[in-house]
Amino acid sequence: MAEPMKIRAKMEGDAADVKVLMSHPMETGQRKNEKGELVPVHFIQSVIATHNGKTVLDAQWSQAIARNPFLGFRVKGAKPGDKITISWIDNAGDKSSIDTTVAAS
Amino acid sequence: MNRSRRAFLKLAGTTGLALSIGLIRVGQAIAAVWNKTGFESKVTADALKTLGVSGAAPNKDIVITAPDIAENGAQVPVTVTSKIPNTQSISVIADKNPFPLTSTFDFSNGAEGYVSTKIKMGQTSNVIAVVKADGKFFTASKEVKVTIGGCGG
Amino acid sequence: MTSRLMQNPLGAAMACTRLLITMTAFAITSMAAVAAEPAAAASAKHSAPLEIKRPASPQPWHRYKVDSQGSSWPQGDWNAYSTLARIATAPPNGPLHYTTPIEGDPALGRQLAFDRARGGSCVACHVFGKETPAQPGNVGPDLSSVGTRHGDDWLFNYIYDPRNLNKDTIMPPWGAHKIYSVAEIKHIVAFLKTLKEPYTFKDPQEDPATRSVPKDTRDNLDPTENPAMFGLDRGKEAFKRAGMNGKSCASCHSSPETAFKTWAARMPRYEPRLNKILGVEEFIARHARATTGGEILMQSDDNIALSIYLHNIANGAPINPDLSSAGAKQAVASGQQLMRRKIGQLNMACIDCHTRERHAFKWARGQYLVEFKGTVAHFPTWRTSRGDIWDIRKRFQWCNVSVRANELPPDAKEYGDIEMALAALNKGAKINAPGMRH
Repeated sequence: MAEPMKIRAKMEGDAADVKVLMSHPMETGQRKNEKGELVPVHFIQSVIATHNGKTVLDAQWSQAIARNPFLGFRVKGAKPGDKITISWIDNAGDKSSIDTTVAAS
Repeated sequence: MNRSRRAFLKLAGTTGLALSIGLIRVGQAIAAVWNKTGFESKVTADALKTLGVSGAAPNKDIVITAPDIAENGAQVPVTVTSKIPNTQSISVIADKNPFPLTSTFDFSNGAEGYVSTKIKMGQTSNVIAVVKADGKFFTASKEVKVTIGGCGG
Repeated sequence: MTSRLMQNPLGAAMACTRLLITMTAFAITSMAAVAAEPAAAASAKHSAPLEIKRPASPQPWHRYKVDSQGSSWPQGDWNAYSTLARIATAPPNGPLHYTTPIEGDPALGRQLAFDRARGGSCVACHVFGKETPAQPGNVGPDLSSVGTRHGDDWLFNYIYDPRNLNKDTIMPPWGAHKIYSVAEIKHIVAFLKTLKEPYTFKDPQEDPATRSVPKDTRDNLDPTENPAMFGLDRGKEAFKRAGMNGKSCASCHSSPETAFKTWAARMPRYEPRLNKILGVEEFIARHARATTGGEILMQSDDNIALSIYLHNIANGAPINPDLSSAGAKQAVASGQQLMRRKIGQLNMACIDCHTRERHAFKWARGQYLVEFKGTVAHFPTWRTSRGDIWDIRKRFQWCNVSVRANELPPDAKEYGDIEMALAALNKGAKINAPGMRH
């Protein structure tokens, strides 16, 4: 079941500027819940971005990335209409992905 | 999140030791090996070793954009721009965090040496960017103060 | 119609109820399924059915323990001190008289003065010379050379209960309210006596007199920036989701984006059926019970999501509560009074920190204090420090707990009065929700 994401890809000069907001608790494992129990560590470990099917960004994250994590990156040589996909997997094996097309500036 | 996931996570533990996933398959691509030793290093020097960094030179072509004073440590916006040609990766370190290495970003197929994200910071600390370009390593550093709250949070 | 209501409210109410049922039965064919809760009759001005018997908040009310990001809520029970709902009997407050020099350990006194667990520490409001910890505040005067200005008796009593020496003070009565013991205050006095030299900061960002005022340049409506925009999506979905009796909000309100274009900007409002002020969130809870049969308690995820949606629809509309009724006017007056009441173990009133006449635009430790104007149009808001979306009532609850005053449940009448007083103060400000704040 995909967790919601928000993505926007827009041309800025000769590069596509991509912004993504992912919905994820990014638990450090140090937090206690309402009952006083330690919430297990739970965070996105790996994020892959592709441009027209080719990997452009391969990110490894720790639990030190903020809750509801944000990611911004740029792809030189992209053009309006190109496809950008973002996929992530967390330490529990949960996954999500989203895609969008690059908008003109 | 369903019950079996919760049980799975409980098994994974609560002390920051995440699953050691060798090759993560994300969508169609196979992701880089997750740098377990690096992410579990408690000091910057150890984390740098796991990245293969030795004697990285400070470089003005790496710009760290982050607030001088972050409103809180829960989400500090950090943007790293590397103008060094053939930038292959950027790693972001919060020097005084319990586990300083926060992330590593590998670029290919036209992705620029640029990344923007938000990190957690436990306290005022230097944010260190490590750039790998043409097989060589370079760094930059910026102090980010974390606001201390007035009465509560 | 109005005069009939005044003379025979029950009879008129029954007539209105019959009329309302006839109208809705005509408009919607299958309303009968699961009965919505008994609805109060339409009042002369407002026809929205409302459940009016039960509280709109979880019962019994318990303070939050943690927010989603792990930041905790202080769990103290400060029932010895005033709240917005109750004025407590004031504890005895001296002054105590010292004719001989006060003895204490300056190092221990410094440790006590800098201890954040003691109501934020003295550094929240004062500078203490070269040993001052990071980001001191300046709500109170610079104490770097206070040891040259005052005698022991004065220093002791000012800390024990400053009200004995300064009737305009907002400083907590550290001794009279038992935050520090008499022995501890003596150590603090010993420390203050060592402070004899004015201090010049090296770093202009450390000096509260020259520190940069935070400027927010975030676009709170950018869905890649503000996680509360996920809440907006949820609100739109919840609006269309069927309640217990098979109906959704959309069943009666097919075009919310036109129908409610300024609705949230006209809230909060005085509700005669409850004789209190209703904000958007309490309205949602009571109206849902009386229509779709949904139980959407205040501060539940769905309630906040729907509140975001209803506010967001009114983005750009100027805040313009209906202040014409006696009930609304009374609420504004009551709210103004409540904002002047000293509450909590720290003995502070809303106006102490949030008016320019008192201490707005100063620093409480590293946080900049602002005045009431400009502070309400962005609710519900994402709180980056808490990892949650807060409605305005949760903001009030947090403020109360921050001054060590027991908070009230979110549907407390007193919070409604304050919300109304703030809306009146913020008349004309444009709704801009969901917001994004520290």
